[in-house]
Amino acid sequence: MSIHVHRRTHVTIGRGQTLRRRDFLRGVSASALAAGSLSWSDVLASESEPLRKRGMACILLWMQGGPSQFETFSPKPDHENGGETKAIGTSVPGIHIADRFPKVAQVMDHVAVVRSMTSTEGNHQRASFLLHTGYAPTASVKHPAFGSAVSHQIGDVTSQLPSFVRIGQRFVNAGGGGFLGSDYDPFVMAKARELPANAQPTTSTERFRRRLNLLDRLEDHASEEHLRKQIEDHHKLYAKSARMITSAEMRAFDLTREPEPIREAYGEGDFAAGCLLARRLVEAGVTFVEVTVGNWDTHNDVFPRTRELAGQVDQPFAQLIGDLEQRGMLDSTLVVWMGEFGRTPRINPRAGRDHYPKAFNVALAGGGVRGGQIIGETNPAGTQVIDRPVKVPDLFQSFCQSLKIDASTENMSSIGRPIKIVDGGQAVGELFS
Amino acid sequence: MLSTALSTRGLSRHLAFAIGFFMIACCASMSATVGAERSRERPAPLPRVSEKDVAEVATEIDRLLSEELFGDATEVAEATDDVNFLRRVSLDLIGELPSPESITAFTLDSSPEKRSRATHGLLENRLFGQNWARYWRDVIMYRRNDERALLASTSLVVYLTKQFNQGAPWDKIARELITAKGNILQEGSTGLIAAQWGEVPDTAAEVSRILMGIQIQCAQCHDHPTDRWKREQFHSFAAFFPRIAVRPIRNTNGMRRGFELVSRERQRRRPGQGNARKKKKKPKDNTGPEHYMPDLKEPTARGTLMEPQFFVTGQTLETDISDEQRRERLARWITSRNDPWFAKAFINRIWAELVGEGFYEPVDDLGPDRECSAPGAMDLLAEQFVAHAYDVKWLYATIVQTKAYQRDSKVRRSYEGTPFVANCPQRLRSDQLFNALTTALDIPEPPASRRGRVRRGLQGPRAEIARIFGYDPSNPRDEVIGAIDQALMLMNSPNLDRGMRSTKKTVLGRLLREIDDDESIAMELYLRCLAREPEDAELETCLDYVHEVGDRNEAFEDILWALVNSTEFLYRD
Repeated sequence: MSIHVHRRTHVTIGRGQTLRRRDFLRGVSASALAAGSLSWSDVLASESEPLRKRGMACILLWMQGGPSQFETFSPKPDHENGGETKAIGTSVPGIHIADRFPKVAQVMDHVAVVRSMTSTEGNHQRASFLLHTGYAPTASVKHPAFGSAVSHQIGDVTSQLPSFVRIGQRFVNAGGGGFLGSDYDPFVMAKARELPANAQPTTSTERFRRRLNLLDRLEDHASEEHLRKQIEDHHKLYAKSARMITSAEMRAFDLTREPEPIREAYGEGDFAAGCLLARRLVEAGVTFVEVTVGNWDTHNDVFPRTRELAGQVDQPFAQLIGDLEQRGMLDSTLVVWMGEFGRTPRINPRAGRDHYPKAFNVALAGGGVRGGQIIGETNPAGTQVIDRPVKVPDLFQSFCQSLKIDASTENMSSIGRPIKIVDGGQAVGELFS
Repeated sequence: MLSTALSTRGLSRHLAFAIGFFMIACCASMSATVGAERSRERPAPLPRVSEKDVAEVATEIDRLLSEELFGDATEVAEATDDVNFLRRVSLDLIGELPSPESITAFTLDSSPEKRSRATHGLLENRLFGQNWARYWRDVIMYRRNDERALLASTSLVVYLTKQFNQGAPWDKIARELITAKGNILQEGSTGLIAAQWGEVPDTAAEVSRILMGIQIQCAQCHDHPTDRWKREQFHSFAAFFPRIAVRPIRNTNGMRRGFELVSRERQRRRPGQGNARKKKKKPKDNTGPEHYMPDLKEPTARGTLMEPQFFVTGQTLETDISDEQRRERLARWITSRNDPWFAKAFINRIWAELVGEGFYEPVDDLGPDRECSAPGAMDLLAEQFVAHAYDVKWLYATIVQTKAYQRDSKVRRSYEGTPFVANCPQRLRSDQLFNALTTALDIPEPPASRRGRVRRGLQGPRAEIARIFGYDPSNPRDEVIGAIDQALMLMNSPNLDRGMRSTKKTVLGRLLREIDDDESIAMELYLRCLAREPEDAELETCLDYVHEVGDRNEAFEDILWALVNSTEFLYRD
């Protein structure tokens, strides 16, 4: 079986496994270079082996609104800018995080925190786009979300499930398939605890297929030339949707199939359910899952509000790491915790903190990331990065390294300009050493 | 002081702009002189011109577009046929499909005036106001910074519906949006400011973006990277809003919480102000809040006290005057002819919705250093819109009358393609889609429950469609694309399924009972769903299908399902 996806040539290996010829050739030359002399069959064997296993995956825990670094992983209890937030010790001696994350503190040996993130985008829309795509928004090029780029590169084409799933209520300017096309748009679920809405055909499967076929027949000879592109996309979308809902893999969405103790371990709330669902989906072959929790935009009352938000996030985040590890999935699953920017060191008159992209933090676990380390540092007031600044492209280069994606891979944008998955920057080497 | 130094790029644009004005001024036999010197400082005010009627302006716009954009070799699309015109103009103006009866009547009408008569009728339909009220609700609410702002959604729609239907001029509406106060559940005019929940910089940014198409918020933290705006200009604009606040209120029974938009004339002391403030000078007693521009080098400092100054005209106020005065003055300045962006921002949005592409793209980024694809036509529309005292319905009637509007649709042009050679397919907004579904299937919209009245617009089937199919109308339209959950809803929603069965009370059930002829039923379904008759090949496929299936009811259920699930159903073209 050979599957043609996104106008690329594929070679077929094994049972329905496909590999893009371009990636394949690159893999061969790299291996050949490394090993000096490898025979073709050796290369095939070495390259096809990892394909039979589940590939790399990524779970992005998106803190919408811009989480305060002081109230999460970069507390400053000794400075007035730190406010009332205390620091607590973790499972790693010498590493302290905000007192709102006691459970994450227990798995700190798996978590690396970058305290020296720095960017210049302080507007929600723009910064959210930047931290979702690696690019600032522009009018001429529709950059794909990183999740779309990842599913384009390493998505499992044999899976009936979408390779990119977003879970949560509202995504502000988070991008989608962009110039990669609607094939790489995320499947969006409002709530993890409910099965995807309308996933059950209202007729027998046979009649459902007959209806789809009728739709195609009618649209085939539509004289609507100006809608041709839309009709094509529509057709692909319907085929994909129909395949998904009639597949056995739909079971992955059903959280009630998860044993009670495990559900309890993740804790309560939408975000907890989202984290559990993320693990189930990755297990079932989804490549990129984004789980969002909103309201981190704490312009007022930052202390009680972050306490409440951390209460939703701490346990599921920690449990997700523990669960992935227990299942032997942590090494192949990168977990990223971040939002669009940080918050001002100064506490404003409304007892809140405003937008601050200049110095903020990101936490990573799994996917080959060495946990139990802090990367970068800000000054005591938290106003600027004084060691190891990490810019957004550096961060995205690091994601690519973890996911074993060549960040310099170029995709053709709709205006005919090749665009790299990540433009510039360097992976943060310490994360992986 | 303000620095408005121009980049060379900006300067040449600006000169082109001034020349465009000059050209129009000549056309209109006006003797306006627009000095290049003055235009370097501020945008030229819109000149006073006498009003012209709809037909005259529409003709003039088409002439200007052809002059400015179309070379001899440019292929311009044909005028669209009556049937497509009626579907397009109905969806555009009232957000509804035309009924099968009106399609027939319109096609048979031989009057050359029928398109403008139909336009006029739709503008007088009460659904016109509602359709465009919902459009502006989406414009405002998709960029809300607080979920609670949704509580103002319903009142905003009620307010705007009334204004548009009563023919309220856009400048009056804008002034009310800027100066609004009161319970956000009742005073719909509070919507624009409530959407930013009292945040000063966000409010400034949105007032500028939505009402003027100026993206000055990019200058909040640094001088604008691609435009001429300076940080000082953003923050002195924000200084019009430091005294707004959204506060919780309780009804007299103390039960239900609501929120009101109020003026905050006194500095509030909060325990949470923290140590950071102690070392600073205490604010003087009894003085209201002011806006301070943060010091980038020293974020802990309070920053610079900003005097309110309107960046377009340079008009200023002193600090320490009341919220009401600040917002009222600003509202007057923004809506005066000295601020050409105000008229143009509105025109650009409406034009883009109707013709498929704005003079400026994205629709909310006009200037000053942005390119207008047809400055002559835009200037003419702006002058005439002002001459007609910001008459909203006049603007719609004029645009709909142009050839540019009435052309056949073509695929959205490429980056290098010529603008406005054709109309352009647009995906229905969620309310248009909801209306199309309920009209085609004749499903009544359930009345809002008691609780639903408060949260109306947030729950129920319309809100469900909005959640799945809604999009921010300010985003580039080619980025609005289908998603799996949308396909699933149209394919499998039990509610829609009930409307598509051939049971006793459904449209299909009635048709099947009353009409024996299968061809007529297929015709009727096409008219209801797609507002056109099927082409021969389509009709043949339908009849073949009925034959293949054997069961007439089942076959037509499937055909109706296919029409509702078709691409064409989702677009206005």
